[in-house]
Amino acid sequence: MRRFLGYYRQFEELSPQEVSRALRARRDEEKAQALAETPALNLASPAWHEPPHAEIVNAATFALRRAVNTYPDAGAEALAAALADRHGVERAQVVPGHGAGELLRATLQALLAGSGSGGDVAIAWPGWGPLPRLVHEAGGRPVPVPLGRDGAADVDALAAAAGPATRAVALCSPNDPTGGTIGADALRRLAGALPPSAWILLDAALADFEEPGTDLAGLTRELERLLVFRSFSKAHAMAGFRAGYAIGPGGAGELLARLAPTLGISAPAQAGMTWAAANGERYLPRRREHAATERDHLAAVLTGTDFAFPRGTGPLLWLSSAALSGKELAAGLATKRIFVAPGAAWGDDHHVRITLRGPAATDRLAAALKDLRPSS
Amino acid sequence: MPRNDPTDTGGLFIGRRPGTAPLRYKEDPARGGEGRRRTDATLAAAVLVLEALVCLTLWGPQPVAWLWVGSQVDYHADSITLALAVTFLGMVATLMITLGIATRLDRVWRILRRAAGHEQREGVLPRIFAVTAIVALVLFSLWFVLIEGPAPSLAPR
Repeated sequence: MRRFLGYYRQFEELSPQEVSRALRARRDEEKAQALAETPALNLASPAWHEPPHAEIVNAATFALRRAVNTYPDAGAEALAAALADRHGVERAQVVPGHGAGELLRATLQALLAGSGSGGDVAIAWPGWGPLPRLVHEAGGRPVPVPLGRDGAADVDALAAAAGPATRAVALCSPNDPTGGTIGADALRRLAGALPPSAWILLDAALADFEEPGTDLAGLTRELERLLVFRSFSKAHAMAGFRAGYAIGPGGAGELLARLAPTLGISAPAQAGMTWAAANGERYLPRRREHAATERDHLAAVLTGTDFAFPRGTGPLLWLSSAALSGKELAAGLATKRIFVAPGAAWGDDHHVRITLRGPAATDRLAAALKDLRPSS
Repeated sequence: MPRNDPTDTGGLFIGRRPGTAPLRYKEDPARGGEGRRRTDATLAAAVLVLEALVCLTLWGPQPVAWLWVGSQVDYHADSITLALAVTFLGMVATLMITLGIATRLDRVWRILRRAAGHEQREGVLPRIFAVTAIVALVLFSLWFVLIEGPAPSLAPR
C-alpha cells in the first residue's frame, strides 16, 4: 500500500514556498561563488561597453513591431538624408550599409577585383586588423606602411609607398589600435601626392570620439578620390546592429552604388541608425569625455612605470612595456582574468590593444599592470 | 507551443505570466507504463464525476435537507428563530465540509492526471463549482417557473 501511494505522491508539486526556498538557496550559492571568484574583464573587444541610448532601442523595437513582413526601404532614404544632413553633404554621397568593415570590403572588391590584375593597397599599419585579409580576398596586395611616431598614419610615408600599381591607400583616424588622428591638411597633402588612380580609404569608425569640428567627411566635397567609412558600432554602442555608412565624392556615383547592400539593410537597423544620426549629439559628448577621462587617468597612473601608449583619441590603447613582450603582457593579464588583444594579431610582438571601459575597469587594469611588472 | 511563447505577449514581457510556471516536483517522477497511464486517466475521469456530484449536492440536496431539518426543529420546538438558526448554521457547516472534500478530490484528480501523462498545473474545482451552480440555477428555475409555479401547491388557490 505504501509503495502504491508512494507512486502517486511523486506527482505532488512543490509548494510555492518550497520552490522559493530552493531558488533562494541556489541564488545564495551563486552569490557566494561570485564573491569568491574574480569576474572576467574583457578588454579585447572594441565595442562600447554600455548599451545604446534607450531611444535607439525604442526606434528599432518600434520598427520591429510594425510591418516586418514587408521588405525595408532598400534605399534607406530617411537614413541617408539624416546622415547627409549630419555631415553637410549631398544625399547621393552617402551609402548606408552593414557596418564600416563590410563597406570597406565592398569597396576593395569594387576597386581591385574589377581591375583584373588586382593592385596594391598601401595600409597605414598597425591599422584596422582585418584590412590586409580583405585586400587579399579582393585580389590585391596589402603594402603595410608604418605609422608616425604619434601613432597616427604617416601621410608622407603613405604617399611615398604609393606607386603606379597602387589602387588605394587605406588609413584609420582615429587609428585602431593606437588612437592617433590626422587632420584635414594632412589628408589634402596625401591626396595631392598620390597617383591619380589611387583612392584614399579613410576608416573613421572611431571618429565620433573626436571633438566636433574635426569631421573629415566634409572633405569628400573637395577631394575627388576620398571615401570615408563611418560606424555606429563604437561611440553609438550599436555593434549588434551591424550598422555603418560610407561617404564619397559626388562624382563617384557609380562606385558608391556598388557599395550599397543589394537588398538594403534591415528595418530595425535603419530606424536605430536614423535616430542616432539625428540625435547622436545628445549622448556622444558624454562618451567622448568618458573615453578621454579614462585614457588620461590610466596615463597618469602609469606615469613613471615602463608601460607606455601613444596619446590619442578614443577608447583604444596600444600599450607596450619596456620589460615585457606583448604576448607576456596578454598572458600576464589573463592570469588576473583581464583579457586584452595581443599585438600578434597585427604582427607586432611588443604591444597589446586594450579597450577602455569604466573607472572600475581602468583601476583594476592599472592595479593588474602594476602587479604584473615586478613579478615577471 | 509553450504558453509563455513570446509571440503571445509581443515579446516585450520579460517575466513569466501568472499560471504559466512549469510544474516542479521534488524529483523527476518515475512514470508507469501505457496501461497504468490509461488506468490513471480512467480513475481521473471517475474522480472528476464524483467531484461534480459532490458539488451538485450543495445546490439541491443539502439545502433541501436542512430545510427539512429546520421544519422539524420548528415543529418540535415551536420556535421559528431556532429553526432558522439551525438551518443556516447547518448549511454553512456542511458547505465547509463539502468544500473540504471537493478540494481533496481535486488534488487527487490533479495527481491522477499527472500520473496519466498530462502536465496538469491547476485543479478544476472553481470551474466545477461555477458550472454546477449554473446547472442548479437552471434546473431550479425550470422547476419553479414551469413545473411547480410560483404559488405553493398546498395553499388554497
